[in-house]
Amino acid sequence: MFEQGRISSVNSVSLSINGKSFPSLRMRSAPRFRVSCAAKPETVDKVCQIVKKQLALPADTTVTGESKFAALGADSLDTVEIVMGLEEEFGISVEEESAQTISTVQDAADLIEKLIETKSA
Amino acid sequence: MFSFVSKRLSLMMMTKVCCFQRNFSSALPPLVPVKLPSKMETHFWYVLPDEVKSESLLSQYSELLSPREKKNLYHMQGDQFKKSALLARVLVRTTIARYQTNCQVNPRSLKFKKTIYGKPEVDWENGDKWCPPPLHFNISHTSSLVACGVTVNVPIGIDVEEKQRRLKNKILAFAKRYFSPDEVKLLTAISDPEIQRQELIKLWTLKEAYVKAVGRGFSAAPFNTFTIRARVVKMGGFHHFDTQHSEASEIVVESSDDPENLTRNWQFALLDLAGSHYAAICIEKENSAGGEAGVPMRLTVWKTIPFVEDERVSGTGAVVPISGLIKQL
Repeated sequence: MFEQGRISSVNSVSLSINGKSFPSLRMRSAPRFRVSCAAKPETVDKVCQIVKKQLALPADTTVTGESKFAALGADSLDTVEIVMGLEEEFGISVEEESAQTISTVQDAADLIEKLIETKSA
Repeated sequence: MFSFVSKRLSLMMMTKVCCFQRNFSSALPPLVPVKLPSKMETHFWYVLPDEVKSESLLSQYSELLSPREKKNLYHMQGDQFKKSALLARVLVRTTIARYQTNCQVNPRSLKFKKTIYGKPEVDWENGDKWCPPPLHFNISHTSSLVACGVTVNVPIGIDVEEKQRRLKNKILAFAKRYFSPDEVKLLTAISDPEIQRQELIKLWTLKEAYVKAVGRGFSAAPFNTFTIRARVVKMGGFHHFDTQHSEASEIVVESSDDPENLTRNWQFALLDLAGSHYAAICIEKENSAGGEAGVPMRLTVWKTIPFVEDERVSGTGAVVPISGLIKQL
């Protein structure tokens, strides 16, 4: 989890120029850098949708894997509502400890897939 | 010998930087200094972003931020959110700077760090001759109100929330997921959905303020492991409270994990602030007042536009106590 965190910040530093992120570029470089499997794009998309809905973001807001919840305007109440929304959507249960480590959409998507995997194991 | 000399030099340099005159921003007038709260007092400062309209003032505010704060702000989405985030940093920097009565502290020079649990605190990083004030602070903001609470010697946590805040989830579903069984019971008993929603938001702010005061992160005190409730207190007659009922209600916290220890040490106040927000304050009681019931939180509240205007509003209609033992100064 620590390595994932480091890697995703490397990606966002190199690809986030003037605040724009380049998701397609990021996915191309993913196999080279990732030690463990990143979440599927569909999962990331679903998380983005739930986040956009919870925060009532204008339609033209860019939300991607790199997006930090804090930067999107999520306060603590929004964050727990988002976690609840994710739990319902994916049929999982998120512990407080894990919820605290999430800072980006990608973090959330990765955690969700890990929990789904553990659940079905 | 050498280390002593270099320590002296660095202290002198620190003093010079610390007492640096206002040349850094000649456009901004000095901050009105304030005396530190006494050991038994809480200071609460807030800004209403809608009252800060001047673009040039906002741009001067931006200059007070550290490079990292500026970068964080740059990446934020949404103008209103960005503005309140800027004002939150400005409020905490200027508020702390006001309390430095020995020499003028440049709010821009303040450095912040986090405890191992992630709670923000001031990084005084000065020579060992100078003792930093035992000042504790905590901030909270919505897009329409930015607040900073200050105490001396004891930890503080605050949370503010818009009174009109709607949840995306159903109220009881949310409560069942996050609150303690006793709290769920209390909320379920409320038949009016609007009152139920208000009570949930109030409870949320109190629980947040508590977790922030404890300062060990959300996971150290999961919301469903402690119950916050109001308890009626029979008054001895000495203390004068500001609540509207003849019997004061004290807010208490009970932990299902740790029934004895943590919980007797915390004091709460819940306010209706500026007509628009619920504000919860949680401070640790001093040791001497440990088990004693009925001692009010002595509270002073200011509404401010840093460098422009400060207005003490405690005791006015802007600050209406809802519960907790409070004495406004």
